Amino acid sequence: MHASVYLPLVIAGLFGLTAPRLALRLPPAAATWLLSVGGLIAAAGAAASLTLLGFTLVGQAQPLAESGHWSITALRHEDPVLVPVAAASIAAVLVLAVRFVTAGVRRTCALLAAHRLASGLPPAGQELAVLDDPAPRAFAVPGRPGRIAMSTGLLRVLRREQRHAVLAHERSHLNHRHHLHQTAAVLAAAANPLLYRLPAAVALSVERWADEDAAATCDRRSVALALTGIATGTGAARQSGVILAAAANDVQSRVRALQAPVARLSIWRVALLVGLLVVAVVAVREATQDTERLFELAQAAYRSARR
Amino acid sequence: MRTRRPSGGLESEVLAALWAAGRPLTPGEVSDAVGGELAYTTVQTILTRLHRKGAVVREQAGRAHAYRPVIDDAGLAAQRMRALLDRGGDYAAVLTSFVGTLTPDEEATLAKLLGEPHSPAPGDRQTDEDES
Repeated sequence: MHASVYLPLVIAGLFGLTAPRLALRLPPAAATWLLSVGGLIAAAGAAASLTLLGFTLVGQAQPLAESGHWSITALRHEDPVLVPVAAASIAAVLVLAVRFVTAGVRRTCALLAAHRLASGLPPAGQELAVLDDPAPRAFAVPGRPGRIAMSTGLLRVLRREQRHAVLAHERSHLNHRHHLHQTAAVLAAAANPLLYRLPAAVALSVERWADEDAAATCDRRSVALALTGIATGTGAARQSGVILAAAANDVQSRVRALQAPVARLSIWRVALLVGLLVVAVVAVREATQDTERLFELAQAAYRSARR
Repeated sequence: MRTRRPSGGLESEVLAALWAAGRPLTPGEVSDAVGGELAYTTVQTILTRLHRKGAVVREQAGRAHAYRPVIDDAGLAAQRMRALLDRGGDYAAVLTSFVGTLTPDEEATLAKLLGEPHSPAPGDRQTDEDES
């Protein structure tokens, strides 16, 4: 087995480290897609690597070798993967699979609950649901159709253009299904802890995306003002407990992004991230073929021993 | 009358404006509050539609009608929203929110970034008319 089997693991680490930073300098829509789909690919590549590494040891189990007609001795002899490495890979695959499934189940339940909320929020048939709540808040509730929820406390402090900006911002979350990108990032991070920074990076990048969409319908300054106006809130808002999302530095980087000109698509940044993922996919393919060759050798040894 | 924007979006704008005003508004006032680009007749149509759907109630204000949102709905909506948020974790996370918290220092930094005089309460909306 060649070194290519370890490459997807290295790439998952590199992707997890560099993608969140590189994405900040890309237009938010491109950044979001790269982080979410790219994260899933990186996680899948690493999982495939671990599975292949682990299988060299699993294949040495007597009943499996019997039914597969391969020679355990030949496998042990030909296989360059150390037993502790293979054993650790098996353990990792099991733990990560449990994490992935748990995260998937949790998210699905939460999204179903959000769907139920979206169809149950009064007034029925309206896009906007107003919440009787003095704290300034706004939400995009994913559903069919999704709903925008704004608190009375928020509506009272916003100027006309800011109100417009918040509606456009939340509508962008719903139209572009940002919750699915976030789900992808959460699943990728569950499947591979090297990608632990992706959920926060995607959360920031979908906010920037919605900010840009809002800025397209009014102006960048109104969005920035609405953003800080809400984020700053009032004293009461800060004490009210359940305040969500955006960490303070997120708000700052969003305001900075709104004050800067629209980020341009940098081909080399995209190429770097896409290139990493392509290398990972090719490496998995190589390693799979290596493993197949290994077991073919062991099967040949089994047959000659029988003769 | 057909407009480019989806009518659901316009209904949201009108509903939000009614809530922001905090008092019943006539179609003319709604038109002002929503912004210049909406024709008076469009506003009238949207208000009628909202009224038919039961999202607003109509009162007589002199010779015109004045509209205000149905307040009970907001209490119920807040209750349902809170029920989901209180479950925390993923349940709160799937509701992408526009809200964050800031320390006074961070507030000051942001205010400086925007070149705004720093005041703790950001309420200085143009359509502000005291509810009394």
